[in-house]
Amino acid sequence: MSAVEYLDLLLKALLLAGVYAAMAVGMTVVYGVMKIVNLAHAGFLMLGAYFAFELFNRFHINPVLGAVLAIPVFFLFGMLVHWVLVRWLPKSDTPTLASLLLMFGFWLVLQNFAYAIWGNEDQSILIPSLNLSAVHIGDTISLPKDKLVVFAAAVFCMVVLQIIFHRSWFGRSMRALIQNPYGAQIVGVDDQRTARLTFGLGTAFAGFAGALLGILLSFNPDFGRPFLLRSFVIIVLGGLESVSGVALGAVVLAILETFCTVIPFPWYHQGWKTYYLPPSYQPVVPFVLLVVVLVIMPKGLAGLFNRKWKTA
Amino acid sequence: MRGTLTFVGKHIRRNMIVAMAFGGIITLCTGSGRAVAADDTIKIGVVLPTTGSESKPGQYQKEGIELAIKQINDGGGIMVKSKGKKLKIEEVFYDDSTDSKKSASLVERAMSSDSVVAVLGGYSTALGTAESVMADRYKTPWITTGAGATAIFSKGYQYAFGSLSPVALIGTTSAEFLGSLVDQGKLKKGLKVAIVVENTDHGTDYVNGFNEWNNKHKGYFEVVMNEKFELGATDFSSILQRVKGSHADIFLSDAHLPDYITMQRQYLQNGLHHQMISYGARGPEANARQALGAGTDYIFAGIWWSNKLPYPQAKKFAADYKAFTGHDVDSWYAAPAYDGMRIVAQAIEKAGSLDKTAIRDALKKAELTDSVLPGQKLKFAANGQSEYPFVITQNKPDNKVDIVYPKDAATGDPVAPIPNK
Repeated sequence: MSAVEYLDLLLKALLLAGVYAAMAVGMTVVYGVMKIVNLAHAGFLMLGAYFAFELFNRFHINPVLGAVLAIPVFFLFGMLVHWVLVRWLPKSDTPTLASLLLMFGFWLVLQNFAYAIWGNEDQSILIPSLNLSAVHIGDTISLPKDKLVVFAAAVFCMVVLQIIFHRSWFGRSMRALIQNPYGAQIVGVDDQRTARLTFGLGTAFAGFAGALLGILLSFNPDFGRPFLLRSFVIIVLGGLESVSGVALGAVVLAILETFCTVIPFPWYHQGWKTYYLPPSYQPVVPFVLLVVVLVIMPKGLAGLFNRKWKTA
Repeated sequence: MRGTLTFVGKHIRRNMIVAMAFGGIITLCTGSGRAVAADDTIKIGVVLPTTGSESKPGQYQKEGIELAIKQINDGGGIMVKSKGKKLKIEEVFYDDSTDSKKSASLVERAMSSDSVVAVLGGYSTALGTAESVMADRYKTPWITTGAGATAIFSKGYQYAFGSLSPVALIGTTSAEFLGSLVDQGKLKKGLKVAIVVENTDHGTDYVNGFNEWNNKHKGYFEVVMNEKFELGATDFSSILQRVKGSHADIFLSDAHLPDYITMQRQYLQNGLHHQMISYGARGPEANARQALGAGTDYIFAGIWWSNKLPYPQAKKFAADYKAFTGHDVDSWYAAPAYDGMRIVAQAIEKAGSLDKTAIRDALKKAELTDSVLPGQKLKFAANGQSEYPFVITQNKPDNKVDIVYPKDAATGDPVAPIPNK
C-alpha cells in the first residue's frame, strides 16, 4: 500500500472514530454521574434510528434534521425513564447488579416494543446524494459523505457537552457528583435532579447518535447490540467518566481496528516473510484492548495523561 | 402505613392463590386436550428465528412451512396406515431469537418433552450447526431448511437432512457462470479475482466451491485475494482498501443480508468498480434494493430459488404464497422450507406410521418429483443433504431481476462486464 492509501485509511479511521464517539458519549455521561452501566443504551440507539426513519418516511424530513429533532424528544423520554424506573435504584459508588439487570430488562422491553411496531424487517434510509456518495480527493482518497456528517455531529456533541460541563450550573453539579457524590450533596447539589437531567442528556445523545447511525447502516429492532461492546471499550479506554477521554478512546479504537489488518509485520517461517493479520481477527482488537486497559491503566487514557501532567 | 402494606400483601397473596388455582385447572384442561390432540394430529416442530438478526429469512421460512402445512391439511392431512386414517399436521413453533444456544435447546425440547415426530428449521448455518447434534441424540428426523454448510452433513449423522443444496455449490456455480462468460467472449481469460467472505462455514464452503472449479479449469481466473471478515461488521474500510490494492477484476463475496448492504454501500462510497460483483446468495433482496437503490444493479447471485423459474409448480407456489401471506415471495428463503415440509409429509405417508426411525428411513428414499426448486426434483444424498442446481440471477436497472444462468432457465442475458457509470 502506498502512503496516500494509508492516509486515506487514516482519514476513514478518524471518521469511524466520530461514529464511535457519537454512540459512546451518552453512555459515559450516565456512568460518570450515576454509576449505571446503561445497557438500555443500545435500545435508545435503535429507537433513534427508527425515529429518523419515521420522520423521513412519513414527512420527508432529512435524517440529519431528524437527528437534531431527536435530541429534545429523547431528552424528555430519558427523564421519564429516570422518573419511572431509574430513580428507585439503590444509590451506590459502583455499578450494582440491580442497575445492570434493570437496564438490561428495559433494553429487552424496548426491543420487543420495536418488534411489535416495526416488525423484524431490516430498514434503511436511502438518500443517494448522502449515503451512496463520497468526497473524492485525487484518485485515492474518498471520504464518505454520510460519515463526514456523522463526524461533524460527533464533534458538535463533544463541544456542546464540554460547554455544558464547564460553563453551566448543571455541568458543575455533574462534575461535582462525578468527583465526590457525598461532598457534592453536602454543598447543596440536588443529586436526584442532576441525575434526572443527566439521564435525559445521555438518552438524548443516544437518540441523536442512533438517528445518525441509521443513515450509515440498515437497522432492525436488534440494532445497537454490536455497538454496545465498542461503547464499553471506548469508555473504559477513555477513563469511564471523561468526555474528552471518550473522544480519545474512540480515536484509538478506530485506528487500531482499521490498521490492524493492513499493517504488514515480519514473520519468520522458513525465512523472513511479510504477514498481515487476517480481517476475521479484527473483532479481537476491542476485547484485547479492554483487557489491556483494565490491567495496565484502569483509569483509562485520560487518567494516564492526568497522572503524567501532574508528575510533570 | 404498615397496616396498609399488610392489607396489600394479604390481598396480593389471596389473588395469587386464586390465580394459581385457575392456572392449575387450565393446565390440567390443556394437558388433557393435548393428549387428545396428540392422537389426532401429527406434531411437527419448527424452530426458526423470527426475532433477532436473522428474523427476516426466518419469518419467510416459517411462512413457507405453514403454507405447505395449510395445503396438506386442506387436502385432509397425511394418510397414516398404522392409524388407518388421515391425520392433520399440528405445527409446534419455537422462535430461537437468532441465538444458537437457544436454538439447540429448543430443538431438544421439541424432540424430548414436546414429542414431535420431526423438526424443521435451522436458519442459518450457525444455528443449523448447533441444532444438528440433537437429531441423532433423540433419534428424531431433523430437516434444516436454511443451513447449507457441508460441515453439518459430514459428521455421519443418521437423522439429519437438509433441503438446501450445499453452499459450496454456490461457489462452483458462480465460477461456472463466470467461466461461461469467458467462453462467450464477454470476459477475458486470466482475470484476477478477489474473494472476501464471512468468517463462517458458509463462507468457507463458498470459497472451496469456487476453488474446486477454478483448479479444474486452469487459466480462467487467478485468485489474488482470499480473506474473511467478521459477521455483522460495521466498517469494511480496511478490507475494501486491500481489495482495491489487489487490482482484481472480479469481486466476489459471500455475506448475510446486513453485511451485504453495509459492504456494498461502502464499496460504492470508495469508488470501487469491478467487471463482475457478487455477494454469494445475496443480491435480489427487496430490502437491499431499497437500501442501496441503483447501487445493487448488475450484482449477480447464486440462489436456491427464484420466482422467475419457468416451472408451473414454481409459479403456482409464488401465487399461493402471496395469497397466503399477503406479500410477494422475497428471494429464495420460503421455497426450500415449503418443499422441506412437503418431503417430510411424503416420508410420513410412505413410513405408514409415526415411528421416527421409520420416518427417517422413508426420508432417505423420499423423492419430491414436483419440487418447486431448480431441477424440479428434491431428494437427499447419502449424507442427508440435498443436491440440486443453483440458478444465477443478476439485478438489472429499475428493480428488475433476471435468471441469467443456466441457459435453459434464463429469462435474460447476462450483462458483463458491468458498465462503469
